[in-house]
Amino acid sequence: MIEQLPFLLWPFLGLLCIAAIHVYLGLHVVEREVIFVDLSLAQLAVLGAAVATLWGLDPHDPPTYIAALGFTVLGAAVFSFTRSERGRVPQEAIIGIVYAVAAAATVLILNNAPHGAEHIRDVLVGQLLAVGPTDVLRLAVLYAVLGVLHVMWRKKLLLISADPVTAKAAGVNVKLWDFVFYVTFGLTVTASVELGGVLVVFSFLIVPSVIAMLFAERVGARLAIGWAMAALASAFGMLTSVWLSAPPGASVVCVFGALLILAGIARPLVARRA
Amino acid sequence: MHKTTQHLIRILARFARASAFGFAIALGATLIANTNAALIRPAHAESKPLSVVTTTEDLAAIAREVGGDRVRVTSLCKGYQDPHFVDAKPSFMVQLKNAALFVEVGRDLEVGWAPGLLNGARNPRILPGAPGFVDASSQVQVIEVPASVSRAQGDVHPFGNPHYWLDPANGAPIARSIRDGLVRVSPGDAALFNQRCADFEQRLGVAVTRWKQQAKTIGLTGKKVVTYHRSWSYFARAFELTVVDFVEPRPGIPPSPNHVQDLVTRMKQGDIALLVMEDFFDPRLPQKIATQTAVPLVILPTSVGADDKIRTYFDLFDHLFASIGGAMKSGAKS
Repeated sequence: MIEQLPFLLWPFLGLLCIAAIHVYLGLHVVEREVIFVDLSLAQLAVLGAAVATLWGLDPHDPPTYIAALGFTVLGAAVFSFTRSERGRVPQEAIIGIVYAVAAAATVLILNNAPHGAEHIRDVLVGQLLAVGPTDVLRLAVLYAVLGVLHVMWRKKLLLISADPVTAKAAGVNVKLWDFVFYVTFGLTVTASVELGGVLVVFSFLIVPSVIAMLFAERVGARLAIGWAMAALASAFGMLTSVWLSAPPGASVVCVFGALLILAGIARPLVARRA
Repeated sequence: MHKTTQHLIRILARFARASAFGFAIALGATLIANTNAALIRPAHAESKPLSVVTTTEDLAAIAREVGGDRVRVTSLCKGYQDPHFVDAKPSFMVQLKNAALFVEVGRDLEVGWAPGLLNGARNPRILPGAPGFVDASSQVQVIEVPASVSRAQGDVHPFGNPHYWLDPANGAPIARSIRDGLVRVSPGDAALFNQRCADFEQRLGVAVTRWKQQAKTIGLTGKKVVTYHRSWSYFARAFELTVVDFVEPRPGIPPSPNHVQDLVTRMKQGDIALLVMEDFFDPRLPQKIATQTAVPLVILPTSVGADDKIRTYFDLFDHLFASIGGAMKSGAKS
């Protein structure tokens, strides 16, 4: 039991890095009602990597990464242009369609690609236990840069997420800032999915913000609650995986589920006291 | 200024002499202590067994044959799991951290998960290139190695087909590379490992002759078969089978309707003896094909540990022939 803990240090720090930015981005995502956008963008990145193998590139070549990034940016452009204020077609429908088509297109491409390319899809699974110092450092640097951008532009970005109509009236180029949002978002999730897998990333994005929304209105308070929940889930998830001798990713996700149930039970009690 | 410098140099020189002397004494003491320890306690007299970690249970079974009581073997992947994909648990890291020897199938079979775990375990003794790392394929004649290493060329695996343990004769080169690894990490036990390895090879040789005879008896030798995936190339070569086609030529990519149609047409020609499938895949499509073509489907384990009864490398092939024999008999009846 004790001797397993040192191996969970770097994966745990990796999860904390993921928590730092995903909890914040999750507030945007839940506000915008684009819950599955991370799955969609991650699948587009995989499609990009699959397309790269058609040109004979190895899955680990840097150009493959650029292709993956290119497809993510393409997705960002699509999502920023398909958001309409009138909302005849919900954004979530477009996101779901992009996910399904990207996943299916990946299968078609890998069907004709050289043997061994199937491993491209493995990035969606992640391997938390293999996370080491270099991964955490890379993640920390990337997220620090993206975080600074989000702090600098926080007014515009928060406004277009929460209230695009007012933003447009105030003269903000909503489509441009939507694009900026989705590009930074795409960069964030493609990096985190490779480490933790889609299930873990989805949970870090959505569950803390949902819990935070149960208890708080202001962005600052929601962030504080969300970060606390994410840190708690990371720590307990890791411990659970040791107790049960189970894969850590799945353990963390289930702990998130348990936390949400507890929060749901606690909310009426808190509300009554207030 | 000049005087101060000289003074400083003198102090430094004295300090250096003193440390050199101290270092020499310490070194001497350590040497003597170590020699003493070595004299009192030869390496093989250590009572604690060597900890061996393998990726698959086939390698674990062979490592037990070679290592006997001197090793404690654990396998990361269970016999009923697909060794291409393994979801790592924290306990894996501890096993790797404490391992004296790590044995992998190699040829990229475990490329999706083993390298990351090896790096994460922070055990330099078992990293690739270190004495405690064994690539069990190193002495095996690997087949289906592409002439060109470019992946753009088409349907190839860059390092050859990794399912070589399914030719029972390959148990011998696997055992030898494990023996070499054990001898590297525990030279004092070399005689024991050599003897046990030779004994295993001898018993395996006898068994291989028996299995080949059995293959003839049940009418398997020389037959044409269709297999689900490419796991059976070595098995087919060992028992003179011809693999005519695959149900799913690419792992994880469902076959196209054209392919299934061609396959069904081909199988209806009546010369296909068996449809062979690995036990960790979804049997629905093969079952449908088997019903349409009246070719018997047999679902076979590819590893030791696939069920409780398959504990040794010998059990694996005994089980394979029992299952195939049953399927051939039922196929002949219908």
